[in-house]
Amino acid sequence: MSKRILCKFFAHGACLKGDNCEFSHDWKDPSNNICTFYQRGNCSYGSRCRYEHVKPSRPPPASSSALLPPGTYLSSERGLTSAPSASSPPPPAWTLDSLDDQANNNNNTGPTNPEDKPICSYAAAGDCPRGDQCPHIHGDLCPTCAKRCLHPFRPEEREEHKKACEKKHKQLEALKLSQDVECCVCLERVLSKPTPAERKFGLLTECDHAFCIGCIRNWRSSSPSTGMDVNSTLRACPICRKLSYFVVPSVIWFSDPEEKKEIMDNYRDKLRSIDCKHFNFGDGNCPFGTSCFYKHAFHDGRLEEVVLRHLDAEDGQTVIAKEIRLSDFLENMRI
Amino acid sequence: MIDISRVQKELQDCEKDRDSSGIRVCPKSDNLTRLTGTIPGPIGTPYEGGTFQIDITIPEGYPFEPPKMQFSTKVWHPNISSQSGAICLDVLKDQWSPALTLKTALVSVQALLSAPEPKDPQDAVVAEQYMKNYQVFVSTARYWTQTFAKNSSLEDKVKRLVEMGFGDAQVRSAIESSGGDENLALEKLCSG
Repeated sequence: MSKRILCKFFAHGACLKGDNCEFSHDWKDPSNNICTFYQRGNCSYGSRCRYEHVKPSRPPPASSSALLPPGTYLSSERGLTSAPSASSPPPPAWTLDSLDDQANNNNNTGPTNPEDKPICSYAAAGDCPRGDQCPHIHGDLCPTCAKRCLHPFRPEEREEHKKACEKKHKQLEALKLSQDVECCVCLERVLSKPTPAERKFGLLTECDHAFCIGCIRNWRSSSPSTGMDVNSTLRACPICRKLSYFVVPSVIWFSDPEEKKEIMDNYRDKLRSIDCKHFNFGDGNCPFGTSCFYKHAFHDGRLEEVVLRHLDAEDGQTVIAKEIRLSDFLENMRI
Repeated sequence: MIDISRVQKELQDCEKDRDSSGIRVCPKSDNLTRLTGTIPGPIGTPYEGGTFQIDITIPEGYPFEPPKMQFSTKVWHPNISSQSGAICLDVLKDQWSPALTLKTALVSVQALLSAPEPKDPQDAVVAEQYMKNYQVFVSTARYWTQTFAKNSSLEDKVKRLVEMGFGDAQVRSAIESSGGDENLALEKLCSG
């Protein structure tokens, strides 16, 4: 009896119990994809849960329920019995689901404010078996994911979902396009490299040529003993020879300048949240000065404030007294 | 570590449009560190009609270091040593880029043949002749092309080497073992 439900670890090829597993290791048996949190009344994922939100059915007779693992219910009865019985779980704690129950119990005479009613999670997941008979509101169709998951009376939630969905969709598309992008140095597809660490692009700030992060970093750090100049050759794009002062790693390849800017901004924002090890909370000295990408904060969390000293140069121009631009620094550097 | 897979890809790539470009790259050894490149002399130059062989050595750091290239066919050119075959070309030195390939480097060498740079010479004698007496330069370069860079049949090679005083069978086996390279065969014969 207990062998009826397909082991979900086995289904992913990762069950360590082997023959001793209390669940079935036979592909013919049905899998149990029911959300146990929902059944206990508090799935915080709500309509976004990847498990099925099925109402607990009337528990089977005691003799068989003892053999069934907790949380497994006959899926043929899923959601169709809503009348509470003495043996059903205690009332759900979470408001959405308790409202859900109320709606059923009061024969749809419950909350009058449609905004408070949750939408049907079956319809949101793709298909509601009850169709027009369903006591719940069926959400509007999302144009991106093509599921009925837009709450008709919650405009904010709608917008949020639409935005998130579009972003996800765009990212997937970009990832799909990125698969074919080849590194101009190793001539291999960047996202088909053997290790995950290698499957990254190295974006140059000044041009749009594609390299894998390993190749471009290798090139930029190769020893200039071969007669190649650091500033004019090694920091230049291997293809167009345009100078770029830094490389941004990215797992996807961009398709337009805005996307590139977004990737770069995100990267810089991320670095800005990391404390600079040269600055070392004010104890050290960072050679990159104000151009450093990392965070310059003191022990008390106060950010470093730099007052630039401007000097009048001979030609009447103003120059900054200290070397604080990264590019200046790189130009003067002789490795 | 040499990126062997990249060298292999380059060889395949080169093989694909070998008929249109006339440029060939063949491995000399199994480990792909020694190769032979072949370029046709550019049309409209004293090198027209010749086929020039270039010895290629792939360094450890390839493609982050330029491949070492040297003419094994004798050539009369201001930027190529008439003695050693050494090439004076910026992309093979400080202007190398990892996006360049063996084929594009050979194309650059081919372009060098049609556009000599006598102000930055590798062979001073040739450069001086180029600057002072262009007509003599052209005829010398043409003569060298006819003499050293013309495709000759196996029988021609055998004949030439036999004339030098080696035995016919000995010459044939030497040519065979050096992959049809006359100069290499001669070296072998000389070293015994």
